[in-house]
Amino acid sequence: MVTLAKQEKKGVRGQAGHSTGRQRRWSRYSNRTFFLFIAPWLVGFLLLTLFPLIYALGVSLTDFDGISPHWHWIGLANYAELLQDADVWFSLSRTLLYALITVPLSVACGLGLAILLNQRLRAVGLFRTIFYLPSVVPVVASAIMWKLIFDRDAGALNGVLERIGLPALTWLVDPTVFYALIILVLWGLGGGMIISLAGLQGIPTELLDAAAVDGAGPLRVFWNVTLPLLSPVLFFQVVTNVIFALQTFVQPLLLAQSGIATSALNVIAVPRSNLLYMVNVFEQIFYNQRFGYGAAMLWVLFLVIMAITILVLRSGSLWVYYEVDRDKDR
Amino acid sequence: MSDHIPSPVISRRRFMANSAVTVGALAGAGTLLDACNTSNTSSSSSSGGSKTTTLTVMYASNEMTKDYVAEFEKLNPTIKISFIEFDQTRLDAMLAANTPPDFVRGGGVGSANITARGLALNLDPYLEKSNVLKKDDLMAVNDTWRWDGKKTGQGSYYGLAKDWSQDGMMWVNNLLFEQTKVPTLSTSAPTTFDAILEAANKLTVRKGGKIQVYGLDPMWVYCSTNIMQWTLQQGASLYNADLSQIDFTSPAAQKAIQWYVDFAKAHVGPSPFDPNPDGAGNDTPIFQSKRLAISGYGYWFGGVVFTAPDDVKAKSSLIPAPQMGPTRVSACYAAVGAWIPAASKNKDAAWKLMEYFMAGKPAHDRAKSGWGLPSLKSLFSEIPQDLPYQKQAYQTTQNELQYFSVLPDSPYLNLGTLNTTFDKYMQQAVKNQISVSTAAQRITEDSNKLMQQAKQHLS
Repeated sequence: MVTLAKQEKKGVRGQAGHSTGRQRRWSRYSNRTFFLFIAPWLVGFLLLTLFPLIYALGVSLTDFDGISPHWHWIGLANYAELLQDADVWFSLSRTLLYALITVPLSVACGLGLAILLNQRLRAVGLFRTIFYLPSVVPVVASAIMWKLIFDRDAGALNGVLERIGLPALTWLVDPTVFYALIILVLWGLGGGMIISLAGLQGIPTELLDAAAVDGAGPLRVFWNVTLPLLSPVLFFQVVTNVIFALQTFVQPLLLAQSGIATSALNVIAVPRSNLLYMVNVFEQIFYNQRFGYGAAMLWVLFLVIMAITILVLRSGSLWVYYEVDRDKDR
Repeated sequence: MSDHIPSPVISRRRFMANSAVTVGALAGAGTLLDACNTSNTSSSSSSGGSKTTTLTVMYASNEMTKDYVAEFEKLNPTIKISFIEFDQTRLDAMLAANTPPDFVRGGGVGSANITARGLALNLDPYLEKSNVLKKDDLMAVNDTWRWDGKKTGQGSYYGLAKDWSQDGMMWVNNLLFEQTKVPTLSTSAPTTFDAILEAANKLTVRKGGKIQVYGLDPMWVYCSTNIMQWTLQQGASLYNADLSQIDFTSPAAQKAIQWYVDFAKAHVGPSPFDPNPDGAGNDTPIFQSKRLAISGYGYWFGGVVFTAPDDVKAKSSLIPAPQMGPTRVSACYAAVGAWIPAASKNKDAAWKLMEYFMAGKPAHDRAKSGWGLPSLKSLFSEIPQDLPYQKQAYQTTQNELQYFSVLPDSPYLNLGTLNTTFDKYMQQAVKNQISVSTAAQRITEDSNKLMQQAKQHLS
């Protein structure tokens, strides 16, 4: 009996040992596969994001001029200086105002267009293509086009104003150039439109039909059914648009008067209204050769973006509806 | 028996450790692959007994064309050119990484910024040995590329100009003068800035809030060099003796700033308040289409006049640089040419390209084109003089040469910085937010703060 029991015990142990060995091998294999699959992203993230970020932090503690081997550690002097730099605060306030205007406008207009293009219309595909096209046009091309449209002397916009009896405006100067910038940016809202359209098409029609059967009108259906179901999509757009808006850089430079002295991207003649934070950074780094100071400014922007993004993410619990959460609660 | 195999749980610690191993392995592999890579940007290699040098050239492709590159390679079979379109950002990155190109486009005015940092190669030893480029054949404009350790204009050469202009000189479309009955400007005696602003006022044609014809473009984007020249014309200087401080509060500097403010307020030409309708900001379309009476772009703009309609060509003339004071000064604001980085690995080959580009076929072609004056005395006779306006421009230029002067160039302040600082406060002065004297004070304070930092940086 004892012998039999011993043999049984040994057999179970042997089986268990065999199983553990297989599990370990499988675990190792899975681990290897996982890391091999994520390696391209991981390498990209570490070398192209994390390393530059830490490098920039190091540079922000120096007076590096970007071109010569002369540099010194200056501690937090750059950060102390930028806290007292009126241009930094001015450009940051302009950038926040710009984000405050363009983000809601671009999300709302993108959604509006998506709703229109979600109707059963004739040639709706053609309309979708037409409205999406501006967002695939390179930003330089669209900026040049808008610059021509906004031109005071020969621009199409002033031509229209004249036709309706209004005086011509000098669009590309303070303060109207700020509105020109907003129009230029909103021109490319086709990307947001496509995302909203995809979100709209993912809403089950049964829900909309059920609401309609229950007597809800189109506005009520939109407000109580469509919008909550679309809120994760809109939330994604808000987060990404806020980040993009705070980093806006090329458009103000392209709208400014260029000159042969400084080639295409010319900080000179960027009107004060369009002195966004990144334009200021560009000026510090490439005009004033203050790479250290510019890097400090970038780190401050990084922290500002991080703080705003966290705020927006936190606000999500107030207005974003997730079906997954609902199921979990049940 | 259970065949269920649980999915592995990857802990954070494990994730970090394995990530490090993965990145390390890939980085190691990258290094190994890099070691096998033979296509270094600046390299020398031997094949079949002849050593081939690859020269990395960062230039503008419309100036160093493919044809010139091909001809140079044909003339120098052991040198191959790897061409990079000029990009200041990329150049900065290459300089910072100590892997600069071998031959770089750059301007003599403002070159103190690179020479004081020890980034440019001293060309004197090469000039002394060269049979092609001789020091006594170099026009005075090449002095903008000289640096003696303290100031520009004297000492060794650290670069050479390819072509140049006395950029304060102005092109005039006399057709527009005739139409508005404004007396034409003298092509032999310099006019004053007050007179030229008055003429610009009369020449400007406005309609319905728009400007149909601009009177004058004094180049807002070159405001710092203009103000420097105008201050010199009044017998004053912006910089102190060791170029470590700048002062715009002197009466001479304030007069120059005041003129720019008056110009912008008058709305008679392109400025940040009246953006240049040509989009490019270089006057070409508006001058050619008879929408600009006076363009302040100097001799090189003659290339634009050459491609203008016949009536514009027939009525265009080049006038001497207007004066703001009793001392005639007519400087060059750019002196664009080339320099060889001190860290170049192919200095001898780069010098061969310098010889070819500054004295070979490209130099002859440039001289004949009218796009700027040649930087070698021996090429001066090749300046075009076939058309009446070309002859007139040549004669006026010949006379103007005696007033050439090298603008002071501080290693502690680059022109881009100065231009943006000017622009910022002059715009506020034009909007009457601050007075001209306050603008001068603030430009001085901001500039000196940057200069002090740069001086500490270089010390």
